[in-house]
Amino acid sequence: MNSYLNPNQKWLARVNPTLKFLTIAAIFMIYLFVHNFNVMLVSSFAFFIFYLFCNGFSRKLSFWLVTMTFILSVFSASAMVFFGKGTHMLFEWHFMTISIESMTRGLHLGLRTFVYGMLGLIFASTTEPVPFFYSCMQQLRIPPKYAYSFLAAFRLIPIMIEEYRIIRAAMKVRGMSEEKGLLAFYRRVKRYAIILLAQAIRRAQRIAVAMEAKQFSMVKKRTYYYKIGFSRYDLIFTTLILFIIIGAWIFSSYVPLTPYNNVLERSY
Amino acid sequence: MMSLTNSEPFGVTDLRLVFPKEKDLFFKDLTFQYHQGEKILFLGPSGCGKSTLLQVLSGLIPNSIEIPIKTRESRIPKRCGIIFQDPETQFCMPYADEEIAFVLENQQVAQDDMEDMIDQYLTAVGLKLHHRHQLISTLSGGMKQRLAVASVLALKPDILFLDEPTALLDPKGTEDLWKTVQTVSKDKTLIIVEHKIDHVIDYVDRIVLFNFNGQIIADGPKEMIFNQYRSELRQYGIWYPGIWEETFPDGEILKLPQEFLTEPCLILKDFKAYRGKQVKFEVSQFQINKGEWVAIVGENGAGKSTFIEGIMDLIKTKGDRVWKVKNEKNDVSFVFQNPEYQFVTDSVEEEMAFGLVIRGVKEEEIQLKVNEALRLFNLDHVRHLHPFQLSIGQKRRLSVASSIIHKPSIILLDEPTFGQDARNTFSLLRQFERMREEGTTLIMVTHEEEIVHRFATREIMIHNGQIKSDERTKRVVQLEGVNT
Repeated sequence: MNSYLNPNQKWLARVNPTLKFLTIAAIFMIYLFVHNFNVMLVSSFAFFIFYLFCNGFSRKLSFWLVTMTFILSVFSASAMVFFGKGTHMLFEWHFMTISIESMTRGLHLGLRTFVYGMLGLIFASTTEPVPFFYSCMQQLRIPPKYAYSFLAAFRLIPIMIEEYRIIRAAMKVRGMSEEKGLLAFYRRVKRYAIILLAQAIRRAQRIAVAMEAKQFSMVKKRTYYYKIGFSRYDLIFTTLILFIIIGAWIFSSYVPLTPYNNVLERSY
Repeated sequence: MMSLTNSEPFGVTDLRLVFPKEKDLFFKDLTFQYHQGEKILFLGPSGCGKSTLLQVLSGLIPNSIEIPIKTRESRIPKRCGIIFQDPETQFCMPYADEEIAFVLENQQVAQDDMEDMIDQYLTAVGLKLHHRHQLISTLSGGMKQRLAVASVLALKPDILFLDEPTALLDPKGTEDLWKTVQTVSKDKTLIIVEHKIDHVIDYVDRIVLFNFNGQIIADGPKEMIFNQYRSELRQYGIWYPGIWEETFPDGEILKLPQEFLTEPCLILKDFKAYRGKQVKFEVSQFQINKGEWVAIVGENGAGKSTFIEGIMDLIKTKGDRVWKVKNEKNDVSFVFQNPEYQFVTDSVEEEMAFGLVIRGVKEEEIQLKVNEALRLFNLDHVRHLHPFQLSIGQKRRLSVASSIIHKPSIILLDEPTFGQDARNTFSLLRQFERMREEGTTLIMVTHEEEIVHRFATREIMIHNGQIKSDERTKRVVQLEGVNT
């Protein structure tokens, strides 16, 4: 079998990408309906540990991404914590009212954001675009024309980043970046947009023609260089995920860390 | 003409083609036919329709590019491989092996056979990778083009169409690519569109010459074309062998006394330029003098661009960098390799004026100078167009003209003649020489040896991020009797 040569040696990279994608999407849905603060608390801790051991980023990048996710979670919590409704007041100052209800709901929301963030990072750091789209074609029967369009588009991203750097330098040389004010800012944004889009459209068209010249569109059936199948890693992955979700439920029903079993209920 | 096989010729009869939104027919009753095994070169001025005809002959038009055409008769080969100009936009996969596999997948080759075939095609084009699974983005332009050849070989084509495949390659890449094409196309039909014909000329046997209006004015053995149509070749900007000597005979370019060039305008001391966190160029002591024409040469990735971008302070640098000019912003100008990146307005006229407007020059004076520059750079007739609508040559001229309109005393240029036809290159070089005569200092990255030998006063060779050699060229001479 032709397995995908992955520079990323984490075992999660060997899990079938479609399975990984659908499992994570399913967890997203499941946690939308979890209103038990204790479960959320335990799960987010568990997923955080899972992330720490299984992510595919470098340490430094990982640190910053987790910090970003944490900040994002704090933001999403704060709106509810400070301004949510509730009857058991803890703190009041002008518009700011913190009640036990708003506090728990806010923290609950924050934890949910954090869990989603962790799962997203796990997926992003252990999934390469090529096997993902091959898997989509093979397991989900996604038509090749969409899968390969995405893959071709991925190639354009680094080119566009480099292009952005050059345009920025060119603007500096031409004296464009010295003009101050809103109008100048608008003109600059317009310039970047025109140049980047013009180049991107031209490139996309050329790539499309080159792909057709390689007889891409003429075929309905195709073979695959990489066969993306299932392995024992898929079993490990799903078992572990189920273990975390069910484990978090069981743990919090036997050992409730806080009294807030349902954040939607009003009184405690 | 003798054909190698007795089969009917390929080609089109009475081709009519019109571009959308254009009133006139681009091709009117054009007939072109060829037989299997022929090696054909299309020559003609830029924009004459060589590439368009090639796309019709390969079936790209109208199958993939929707342009209305009409023919009385057409025979398009079933198995053809096409190599395009731009190395960046021929691939849809990130890794080299995957790109060839993509072609194999399209042809429903069994998965088990793929790896061997991929290796076989990579070997055929002489690509020695550490592993077939290598990121395409780490390859040089020339290697990318050879990978493109490898992937179209996987189509098992009878006919190879090459649409200016070396226009964006350096001399080394160009040479390697043509060697590769020669070895892989021995028993194949070749149709080539190309401006730089030094390397292909020995290999083709038939030349088709187009004029500005997309008509075929000559079609025959290469010797005949070279003997009878030399003035057309020159007029169309084609890089035929010997063109440099014909255009700039030795002695036409002024010799310069050595003493002329001693007053410094740029001094570098313990200078380092970075790409990201890596030092990519380093020099402990360096000086450029007023009135010099400095050519910076070296292989791809040696650090030439890093060097001049460092001088311009466009990337992170360390060490001393002293300009001996009145005002750095007004006196030092930079022309980028791709002109489109530096266009900041929506018309040629405004583009030309921009450098003066931001320096607060008076309206009437701007008008005067813009008109003069438009005439000088032959852009008068396109003054109202958007810069992106210009031809490659016009874009290049506009980018140079708009960077020098405020009369800077030092100009840095990153491969200003790259991808230009001979006519454009020579007209640019004449402009540069005129500027040098007026006292402007030119610092230019180039791959073209002829420019270095004929125009530059100093040649700096960069290797591995350091100056490997720094010499006066033969333009600069010790004049007898000056020192005494």
